[in-house]
Amino acid sequence: MIPVCRLADLPRGEASRFEGDPPIAVFHTEDGEVYAIDDTCTHQDASLSDGWLEGCEVECPLHASKFDLRTGKPDGPPARRPVRTHEVVVEDGMVCVRLSEAVPSVPACAARRLAVEGAV
Amino acid sequence: MTVTNPSPSLISTLPGEHYTDPEIFRMEQERIFEAMWFCVARASDLAGPGSFQTRQVGRESVLISRARDGSVKAFLNICRHRGAKLCTQESGEVKRAFQCPYHAWTYGLDGKLVAAPNLTSMPDVDRTEYGLIKVHVREWLGYVWVCLADDPPSFDDEVRGAVAQRLGSAEAIDNYGIDGLEVGRRITYDVKANWKLIIENFMECYHCATIHPELTEVLPEFADGFAAQYYVGHGAEFGEDVAGFTLGGAEGLDRIPGVGEEQDRRYYAITVRPQVFVNLVPDHVIFHRMFPVAADRTVVECDWLYLPHVTASGKDLDHSVELFHRVNQQDFDACERTQPAMSSRAYAQGGVLVPSEHHIGEFHTWLQKRLTA
Repeated sequence: MIPVCRLADLPRGEASRFEGDPPIAVFHTEDGEVYAIDDTCTHQDASLSDGWLEGCEVECPLHASKFDLRTGKPDGPPARRPVRTHEVVVEDGMVCVRLSEAVPSVPACAARRLAVEGAV
Repeated sequence: MTVTNPSPSLISTLPGEHYTDPEIFRMEQERIFEAMWFCVARASDLAGPGSFQTRQVGRESVLISRARDGSVKAFLNICRHRGAKLCTQESGEVKRAFQCPYHAWTYGLDGKLVAAPNLTSMPDVDRTEYGLIKVHVREWLGYVWVCLADDPPSFDDEVRGAVAQRLGSAEAIDNYGIDGLEVGRRITYDVKANWKLIIENFMECYHCATIHPELTEVLPEFADGFAAQYYVGHGAEFGEDVAGFTLGGAEGLDRIPGVGEEQDRRYYAITVRPQVFVNLVPDHVIFHRMFPVAADRTVVECDWLYLPHVTASGKDLDHSVELFHRVNQQDFDACERTQPAMSSRAYAQGGVLVPSEHHIGEFHTWLQKRLTA
């Protein structure tokens, strides 16, 4: 488990991005649930933590595909592939994430960038 | 510029080219419309967060919108990335953000850059610095006024001051509670005339007896040719047998409660330079906003404002609206007849103002000063 932030620092309705390979977005819903998904939209390189959280869904700020925070699945195009979801545990006020072992789906341009960075 | 007339009764107007020359119009855009407070919208037209309008102010397209906190914001309607026009509609509503239709740079209702493709891989891009360029905003009389100048002139001096100067006191306008009135009717006139012809026409009443028979019937003193704008604090009195400011003088609608006894049964007219006219009568307010489009074209939006319970009651406003709608049509027809003559050699040196129009000379002096400053 990776500790990412204190729950008190992530108010309800807000999201936070954590750098990584690939970066992770953690959401605190209005209902008080905490979810973690890959931060990058699978359609184009956009940060979902900059998107709009509504219930258990986040809408990509660029082209409005909505991802279900529980399953990672988009509601419709332009995104077609799901983002990965990560297990979240809140312990002693600390939000901890267990990264999924699935292969991430990242958009082509972000994948190229990650590949280049990885090669350096 | 001042030409001495052989007849002391007459003073000169501006030469004809001031009404036709695109270069002079461009200077007016830069030094007047982009430099002064400019009334763009009725605040109630921006109903809730995300409601927006786009308006041309001088040479710029301005985006006016209501933010999440309820305040009105205004921005240059241009994407900071590659300069595409951000909002292409004249009005509408966005849910959360304005998105450029070119590369999808996305701005919050507060103008801040919230998202863009690959933005997270450019952490050095400051989202406020690359947010939309803000334009100064004020709300007054229920209208949104913007100023494109970096350092705007004092709103109190230039806008409130113009109203106070005309009415003789700063408080006289408050009696009408204009911010609490509602738009009962709006008519947009596309006038093929220079904006200054419209202002000059509004400032004088020498033409009233000739082209405004219905208005002169309600305000008999207008037949003498001295406009309400000739005297400070003067309201033209309704005729003895006139019940209200309506077509034919029939009874109007419910009187605005704050209107004082001395203001009752009177018509007041105010010009707020450069593009607003306010007309006050006891039961309603007629508010004109001009949008100069070209040297020979001006769009005029005119609102008829009434007490909220009057508009809500569904009462027939036609007789009330029709009086000034006719005045508008008569005035704008006259301006359109005049516009083509502005390029005639007969008007190359301009025309003349009779004594009841001499106060228009002060408008010309003001114009010249702004253009040469």
